[in-house]
Amino acid sequence: MKRNFVLHRALAIAKKEVMHIMRDPFTLGLAVVVPLIMVLFFGFAIDFDFRGIKVAVYDQDNSRLSRELVRSFSASEYFKTFAGASAGAPAKEIEEGKATISMVINSGFEREIFSSRNSQAQIIVDGTDNQKTGVVAAYLGGIQRAFSSKLSGSPASDPIKITARFIYNPELNTKWFIVPGLIVIVTGLLSILLTALTVAREWENGSMEMLLSTPVTPFEIVLGKILPYVGLGLTGIVFVYIVARLAFSVPFRGSYLALGAACFLFITTSLAQGLLISVITRQQQKAMQASMVVGLLPPLLLSGFIFPIESMPLFFRYLTMVLPPRWFTAIIRTLFLKGTPFEGLVIPFIALALMAVIFIAAASKRFKRDLEP
Amino acid sequence: MISIELDNITKSFENTRAIDGLSLRFEPGTLHGIIGPDGAGKTTLLRLVGGLLKPGSGRILYKSGPNPAAFEEVRANLAYMPARPSLYADLSIREHLEFFKSLYQLPRDEYAAKSKRLLEITRLERFTERKVGELSGGMYKKLGLMCALLQSPTILLLDEPTNGVDPISRREFWELLYQLLEQNILILISTAYMDEAERCGMVHLIDSGRLIASGEPKEILRKEKAGTFDELFLRSAKK
Repeated sequence: MKRNFVLHRALAIAKKEVMHIMRDPFTLGLAVVVPLIMVLFFGFAIDFDFRGIKVAVYDQDNSRLSRELVRSFSASEYFKTFAGASAGAPAKEIEEGKATISMVINSGFEREIFSSRNSQAQIIVDGTDNQKTGVVAAYLGGIQRAFSSKLSGSPASDPIKITARFIYNPELNTKWFIVPGLIVIVTGLLSILLTALTVAREWENGSMEMLLSTPVTPFEIVLGKILPYVGLGLTGIVFVYIVARLAFSVPFRGSYLALGAACFLFITTSLAQGLLISVITRQQQKAMQASMVVGLLPPLLLSGFIFPIESMPLFFRYLTMVLPPRWFTAIIRTLFLKGTPFEGLVIPFIALALMAVIFIAAASKRFKRDLEP
Repeated sequence: MISIELDNITKSFENTRAIDGLSLRFEPGTLHGIIGPDGAGKTTLLRLVGGLLKPGSGRILYKSGPNPAAFEEVRANLAYMPARPSLYADLSIREHLEFFKSLYQLPRDEYAAKSKRLLEITRLERFTERKVGELSGGMYKKLGLMCALLQSPTILLLDEPTNGVDPISRREFWELLYQLLEQNILILISTAYMDEAERCGMVHLIDSGRLIASGEPKEILRKEKAGTFDELFLRSAKK
């Protein structure tokens, strides 16, 4: 005989859980205060706009034009120039970590320009940090173009001219890019952690033995455990939203209804994921470790938070589809920056809803109804 | 009224055999004592009867009168109080009772009458707002019993309910059980206190998962020519 679902019992579990939460400042803090602090902290810390990249200059020409070139570097806030001290070994500064770039201007630089030959300056770039290098290369191109057009006294005379206009984030402000992504990572991890401990705790303190001898069903326990934490998680997100708007001036262009729905689905999915971990491990310590493994690195590296999914190998592009943060990142970036109407987000929404159902079902199914080891 | 029959049950965990070929019969309206030293298999036996463990071999038969009953039917009327602490330290006595009321879906007025009576006989009325973490050992056990009794079970499984409880509270506890017995239910109680054996209607002495003796307490002592149950166990341990 299968036991029927009784909402009343699920609510009893939820009510009890609320009492635990209200009496445990640690849980309250973990759900509401920690996300706030983390988003603020990492929001300020992470920045892809490289500024003050150190350039060691070897100006062997020391002419008006060579000095002009050096000045075009130092004038930009991206570079900080200083005179290189090891003539003959221009890479030495880089080796010693004193500079990221070494610039060598050979003598005759100006003369060659005036005799309208191609003139060259050599740039040596530290290639250990790909990301930095990429950014440096982009800046260099810009400086070179600016310098050339200044020389010829007219705008760059390339036969084809491409102008790019960045929409949604015209100044390419990295905070606008980072902060919404951070919200995903932080809420996802904390939601998993919150529930990962709850069922394991009941196994450890023995109360599960008593619960299992009552008519309550696994699905009722799972539902009753998720409900209060959804409320808690949504409260946390409200605070984080306020921080994103006020501290980082991230715009919000989508609908609040869509944001609420997406947050609800994502939090539910993450909580259910945590419960599944808890149901399987049945020990708080193991549950904690498993949540860190599941909840931290994959979302950080594979959700599109920092590294674009489009440039991953095909297999990983498909793999990311089973990660709830991937879909939530897509939704939340769109809502904050683009404000696309809801129709554009149908697939991420369906994916999140589907995963919520799957994780809840899995947690209920894997829930042990007896004390067999 | 439900009776339970164990038919040659065994149960092993990894390398230990907790229950080793037990056959027993529990009739309703009787207080059955499972008596044995630590590690005898008492907890495993109660968990098997309560459906929290599955027998390795053998069968457990539940009968409603003369007819076999499915376990799921029995479960609805079964109450179990585990030996290890299993209540929530941060919830009060009243919050526990209300929680279990909801799980058992008791009607409001039935709950009101029931909890009032239970608090009265356990003499815990004055402490309803006290958190479980702050209860004494005896109070804790009584609350566990109250939670189990809220739903008027026909089978009551109590795993060492008097363990670590002071002598006066122990006596009260047993008086409570006698009162319950008047409702013609089946009570299965395990204990390591040999003196408590004589308080039971029927006793089943087990050691190392095997049955040593079973019957009315006085009957057993007479048959085995022992003065007390301590003596009986010491004798069996020497063998």
